[in-house]
Amino acid sequence: MIEKKKNKKVYKKGLNLLEAYPIKFSESVVFVKYDGPVDNFSFPFPDKKVEHIIVNLCPTEPWALPTRAILKNETPDFLNKLEAVRTEYFPDSHCHVVVNHQESSLVNEAERYKSQKDWLSIHTMEPVYPYDTPVLIVKNILGLDIAFGQNTIELGILLLDPQTITGIFEYYIQKNEFNTRLIPISGTGLNENKILKVRPGTPVERILETHVKAGIKYRVFLDGPLNGTEVEDLTQKIDWSVKNIVVLEERDYKTPFPYLKVNKLLFTTSLMGELRRCVYCNFCDDICPVNLEPALYWHCYTRGEKHKARLYALEKCIECGLCSFICPSKLELLHVIRECKS
Amino acid sequence: MKKTFKNIETIFNKSLNSIETFIQSHPKVNFLFGALFEAADGLIRSTKDTAKNPPFIRSSMDVKQYMGGILVALFFGWVVPAIYFYGFMCVVPKLIVSFVVGVFIVDVLWVILAREERINEGGFVTCLFIPAFLPPQVPLWLIGVGAGISILFRNILGGVGHNLVNPALFGRLMLTICFPTMVVSGWQEPFTGIPTIESLMYGVDAVTHATPLIVFKETGEVTSYLSLLFGASTGSLGETCRISLIITGIWLCKKRIANWRIPVAYLGSVFLFAALFYLILGKAMVPPMFQLLSGGLIFGAFFMATDPITTTYSQTGKWIFSIGCGFITVVIRNFSPIPEGVMYAILFMNLIGVPIQSIILKLKYRT
Ligand code: SF4
Ligand code: SF4
Repeated sequence: MIEKKKNKKVYKKGLNLLEAYPIKFSESVVFVKYDGPVDNFSFPFPDKKVEHIIVNLCPTEPWALPTRAILKNETPDFLNKLEAVRTEYFPDSHCHVVVNHQESSLVNEAERYKSQKDWLSIHTMEPVYPYDTPVLIVKNILGLDIAFGQNTIELGILLLDPQTITGIFEYYIQKNEFNTRLIPISGTGLNENKILKVRPGTPVERILETHVKAGIKYRVFLDGPLNGTEVEDLTQKIDWSVKNIVVLEERDYKTPFPYLKVNKLLFTTSLMGELRRCVYCNFCDDICPVNLEPALYWHCYTRGEKHKARLYALEKCIECGLCSFICPSKLELLHVIRECKS
Repeated sequence: MKKTFKNIETIFNKSLNSIETFIQSHPKVNFLFGALFEAADGLIRSTKDTAKNPPFIRSSMDVKQYMGGILVALFFGWVVPAIYFYGFMCVVPKLIVSFVVGVFIVDVLWVILAREERINEGGFVTCLFIPAFLPPQVPLWLIGVGAGISILFRNILGGVGHNLVNPALFGRLMLTICFPTMVVSGWQEPFTGIPTIESLMYGVDAVTHATPLIVFKETGEVTSYLSLLFGASTGSLGETCRISLIITGIWLCKKRIANWRIPVAYLGSVFLFAALFYLILGKAMVPPMFQLLSGGLIFGAFFMATDPITTTYSQTGKWIFSIGCGFITVVIRNFSPIPEGVMYAILFMNLIGVPIQSIILKLKYRT
């Protein structure tokens, strides 16, 4: 009990993105046709012994694939697949399934399923970004400290994406064909937020073709705008690791009276303000999920003393990007942190 | 209605755009007015910058809103009550002088001469502070001088993000040094009762009376707490109506613009130290409740000490900073001939802020 409380205190920070940027996906799943060469599914089985498998069914980013799209109201079915994968490939491991504590029906269903199995445990989690990043999820569930960027396999922990479980089950166990992946697309640059069924290997261009709003400038991001990457070249092909695509409107012109139109600017790439110096507002260290003080790195960086940033526990930063997100002076804190790390 | 507004807005936006292109295509015009235009434009329109590095979305809070929040709080915290107590004609000319000298003369000249990009909203905050901690009957030119000194000082230091000490308080300090008698006289009796048009315009006849703290120093008499709380006692223009200052101050803390730690620690430590001295040294000391409710303490704790850039960055440092402020305030009020110590306390702790910060960092990240 005490242990639990302590964890809560350490990670009480973060941001409930699902509330800040609610995104609704349309119900139907659309298949994207593509006739060019595609990638086949393959899973690199680890050569180390796996002790823990963590399956995250609680996405904390609104643009991530909603759980219902994977479970399709058949939770036991999914858990059966997980059991099959476990018995076949990771027989000695213990499975941890993480679910959103607000989805009570899912929690109940999973608990009911679990009552007959001793290889499984169900954890509930608040959907607060970035609690599902490897460092925090391992810390919260197993109580182990891992460093940012460390491969969890070394500790015998395997983080599995729900879609990968289906993939391993279909492809390796059932020997069925498995060559599509669900990719949610969302953002202000699109007409509608949709879940697409895509064959990895399809170019981004082809996927977005019919969905982008006409007559606006837009930018495309893989794996979310907070810590994902920008797609520079739209002919780039989707691979099996892509989780979602976000298309944001690029408002690179001035908007009069921005205070009256916050909603129009929200969820675009606009900086929504101008670059200033740090005003010591403490927003960044209030939001940092691992209790760092990002402004310190910025001070070191502007003074030209990059190496000094390491003194302030820089290595603990999980590069979630929340500090840059919240900073009212619009400082590029994440960029600074990455520069200081290198 | 909405459509007309939209049309006007489009035309307005277009004309601003064409002015911008005109200015940028003429180097000479740009040299003289470029920065000025940028500055004015920055107040009306958003920037066109977009995120170049991850994260690619940013929250909508920016420094403008941050400062805007302080301005709103100050307006309801002291301007509105001051109009009630001293009359429109007493308050508004002071504000106008402060703004004209501070923002429109000193800041604009600075923008043109030093070729800074923008007029910072921080200047507005400073200008709104200046009349607030001067007596109601202070001459207008003194306010002008104060605003000029403050804004010049903050521009020399480099504006928001560089200030070592609170510029408004520094201006007040300079005034105290240069015109020592003027800033401590002219405490006018406030108007009380049901307001009439006449009283709202001109206030009551100018009867002066010493401030509660001075009265206490001279006669040991304690003004009633209720009149202190609601502002029916003498004092500087903006610091008498404590109840409104407290309410707006709490609103600021709720919005996280002011860090709640500072007012809590400042007021708490003033109370504790005052109680301590009162218990040990007896009646000659200022009693703790009276300490809390008199002078510029509430104003200072909620609005001046919380000025973010002049405190320390670290949260622990903020506690130490404000407890230091509280201690110095009590010591000055109790043991020195000066009746009011809030200004010196905050200025002094502003300076100490830098070493506090580095000591805290050394302790926290000691390996
Ligand atoms: S990017 Fe690093 S420093 Fe910034 S909030 Fe995330 S963990 Fe904290
Ligand atoms: S959020 Fe930005 S302005 Fe505020 S303390 Fe952090 S770095 Fe400074």
